[in-house]
Amino acid sequence: MSIAINVRSSRAQQAKLGRVIGKPGFRLLVAANVAGAIAAVLLAYIHKFHLAASVMGFSLLFYMPAVWWKRQLWPLPADGQELENRLSGAILFRLKAESLSSPQAMWDSLHAHWQVQFMLHHLLLSSDTVRSCLSTDQVKLEEALKITQQIADTNQVQKIELGVLAAGLMLSSPQLGQVLVQMKAQPEDVISLANLLARTLSDEEKERANYGGIGRDWAFGFTPLLNKFGQNVSAAIMQQGVHFDWLAQSSSVKALETAFDNGTSAVALIGPDGIGKTSNVFALAQRLLEGHTSQALAYHQIIAINATHIISTAHNPGDLEDIMLSLAAEASHAGHVLLFFDDAQLFFNDAAGAFDATQILFTIIQARALPIILAMSPSDLQRLRSKNPALAGMLTPIVLQEPTETEVMRVLEDAALTLEHRHKILIAYSALRETYRLSGRYEQDEAYPGKAIKLLEQAVGHLQNGVLTPESVQQAIEQTRGVKAGSAAPAEADKLLHLEDEIHQRMINQSQAVKVVANALRRARAGVTNPRRPIGSFLFLGPTGVGKTELAKAIAATYFGAESNMIRLDMSEYQQPDDVQRLLATGEKESSSLLLAVRQQPFAVVLFDEIEKAHPNILNLFLQLLDEGQLTDLSGRQASFKDCVIIATSNAGANTIRERVAAGQSLESFSDEFTDELINSGQFKPELINRFDDMVLFRPLTPEELSQVVRLMLAEVNQTLKTQNISVDLTDGAIAEIVSRGNDPRLGARPMRRALQKAVEDTVAKRILSGQANPGDTVTLDTADLD
Amino acid sequence: MLIMSFFGWWYGRGWKHAFDSLGLRLRGTAELFSVKQLLQTWFEPWRRIVSVPGSSFEDKLRAWGDNMVSRGVGFVIRTFILFAALVSTIAVGSLTVAEIIVWPLVPIATPIMIVGGLLG
Repeated sequence: MSIAINVRSSRAQQAKLGRVIGKPGFRLLVAANVAGAIAAVLLAYIHKFHLAASVMGFSLLFYMPAVWWKRQLWPLPADGQELENRLSGAILFRLKAESLSSPQAMWDSLHAHWQVQFMLHHLLLSSDTVRSCLSTDQVKLEEALKITQQIADTNQVQKIELGVLAAGLMLSSPQLGQVLVQMKAQPEDVISLANLLARTLSDEEKERANYGGIGRDWAFGFTPLLNKFGQNVSAAIMQQGVHFDWLAQSSSVKALETAFDNGTSAVALIGPDGIGKTSNVFALAQRLLEGHTSQALAYHQIIAINATHIISTAHNPGDLEDIMLSLAAEASHAGHVLLFFDDAQLFFNDAAGAFDATQILFTIIQARALPIILAMSPSDLQRLRSKNPALAGMLTPIVLQEPTETEVMRVLEDAALTLEHRHKILIAYSALRETYRLSGRYEQDEAYPGKAIKLLEQAVGHLQNGVLTPESVQQAIEQTRGVKAGSAAPAEADKLLHLEDEIHQRMINQSQAVKVVANALRRARAGVTNPRRPIGSFLFLGPTGVGKTELAKAIAATYFGAESNMIRLDMSEYQQPDDVQRLLATGEKESSSLLLAVRQQPFAVVLFDEIEKAHPNILNLFLQLLDEGQLTDLSGRQASFKDCVIIATSNAGANTIRERVAAGQSLESFSDEFTDELINSGQFKPELINRFDDMVLFRPLTPEELSQVVRLMLAEVNQTLKTQNISVDLTDGAIAEIVSRGNDPRLGARPMRRALQKAVEDTVAKRILSGQANPGDTVTLDTADLD
Repeated sequence: MLIMSFFGWWYGRGWKHAFDSLGLRLRGTAELFSVKQLLQTWFEPWRRIVSVPGSSFEDKLRAWGDNMVSRGVGFVIRTFILFAALVSTIAVGSLTVAEIIVWPLVPIATPIMIVGGLLG
């Protein structure tokens, strides 16, 4: 196959003539032709036959070029496999002899066309940037044309439009590839945009769909009740011209037709929210209108029943039955009606805003008087099976599969064009990729493509100079899910770089533990960790009251924004085998559920206190959690821990740590030996310990460190008293006294708060009540003042 | 060169297009009038309006009469539309066939008509 282009070829000349004539020229030719024909007829009528023949001859002179233009010159169909014979008229019209000297020269001839501008805008590139990256070497042009042909062949496009050629030119430049990466785009985006253009142009060329005409509706009866309680999907498609072309060819829609062809009267369309159950039914309606369907559904119109309207109209169960049965009777009588129950769970739920119509549905479906589709989620089907097995057994289930990335991107492209048109904005293609990525990561409750479309719509509220960029999408997800999706701002980056100092403001010593955790958080925020695992996972080991839980709280406060961003589970409550069920509960009925909490708070510290006390089955779950960053609840839904810091604490081996530190050994010196001891003693399995990013040992606090703890606690007391404008100060002697009262080697700093409470808070309370401490005072307490 | 391209197209792809359009136009006309559907429902009651017969003979007779009227109305309206569809199909078909026949003659006839007409 040759890739040579002759700009003076017959085809190129036709392209130029077609563009020179243009649409205005075509209209003139048609007008002259019609006028001539009318004049000829009139002349013949008055018996001027010779003149009439001559005028008709002139009329045909206009007719022939008009027909040629309409059927050949303007559309200029592809004619063979040679590159030159596949180039569109828009390309051939613009190419000159000098355009063929290099990719840059060809770009100069083409860049002003709207198709190229469309691609540049969506890639956030300027024409000059592209031009400066393109080669001035003629050999490179041959390479660019080969790439162009490959793109067209790969996508089975016969006629090569300007967008595809522009993509070929861009992809021939390695420098431009680097520029695209810097712009957070990918070279594949160029091809995707070219394909989007080709698809849009192809849709424009298609004639308006013919959905039948005069007499079509006469086959149906009148449906006043269905019109009141439902939406005629088929009529909506006819009126609004909604197109589900791609979906109409999908296997799921064909499965629907096959099910009815095989004699079923009711289909359960199963899929999670967002997967496109409603869209599938709309696509089926389009196929029925176009006549491309099976015998069983020929000429059927689809009416979607509005459950909410029915519920709001009916005031008692008797009304509901009447309405439902009347609707079914009317649909059956009208003929050629397929009833669609969207959100079908509303018809068999006892929850608020729903009603139990399973028995009525059973009666209607059993009668087999009309085809019915019920759309519901897998869990709703399970519920129906337990509630009314007979009804569930009559339904033919069709399970929708989540679309592939390519399919989702195609849906997103179409959605983006609609949003651009509606809001008069520009959506960068890189934003679509970011939408796909972030919705996949953070929107666990919905399926593709619905969740991606929803995020894209939310991102419209975060435009940057009228453009929707990847950052817009990141801001949208940060706002709705409370996660950090974008890169760190300078202030945040500075905070991260000095995270240890920040943590030490509320945490005494344990420098090694703080450093390990701070490093993990910095790695995660910089995006250099495995995104499929939690941000960090740590096993904190050490005696009670040395700061393990306090460090977890400090991380929640400093990295996740507030201490409340911590999900805490006391694993001593999960010691029985059945507790696995409680841990994996869906949260719909249970008051507390780990997975529900993580779904609601995906960006948090998850603290598992006293992990060694949990049942071994629960520890096995941890292997999955730490490896894959997710757990699956009892209904089969996944909850992601990928934006969580997982901390497990344990007192296992606390005595060993205490003894060795007391003997003067450093934590680092016996860390490995200590791990072996834990494994050999059977307290932890090696596979669990290995899955944590780090095992962090906490050492007992010295009296000096306990004094610092007292000072931190005193600062908290002062914070509480701030509203009364009173502050408390302790002398060194008083602090030493409190440390002495609260120091218990077995319990670490834990008794310190009680000692402080008893010694300071009680004393201050008495002084306030007796009038010895007034607003504005600083109460200084010495050893003798303590209760 | 363009003139050669024009004649090449006129007697090649252009003429083939005229042939292809015959089927497309006939099918389009049939779809416009929903001919297949009208034929299938030719004798059915108008908009499926039917009376449900009661138990007495008189009621049954009245319902039968009402339903016959409904069918009669449906039959008349559908026959009228089917007739219009038939006329349209004949017209469209004839014009397209004429176009196919006349097509190769047009480039030849045009100068003859102009010159012949002017010469009188």
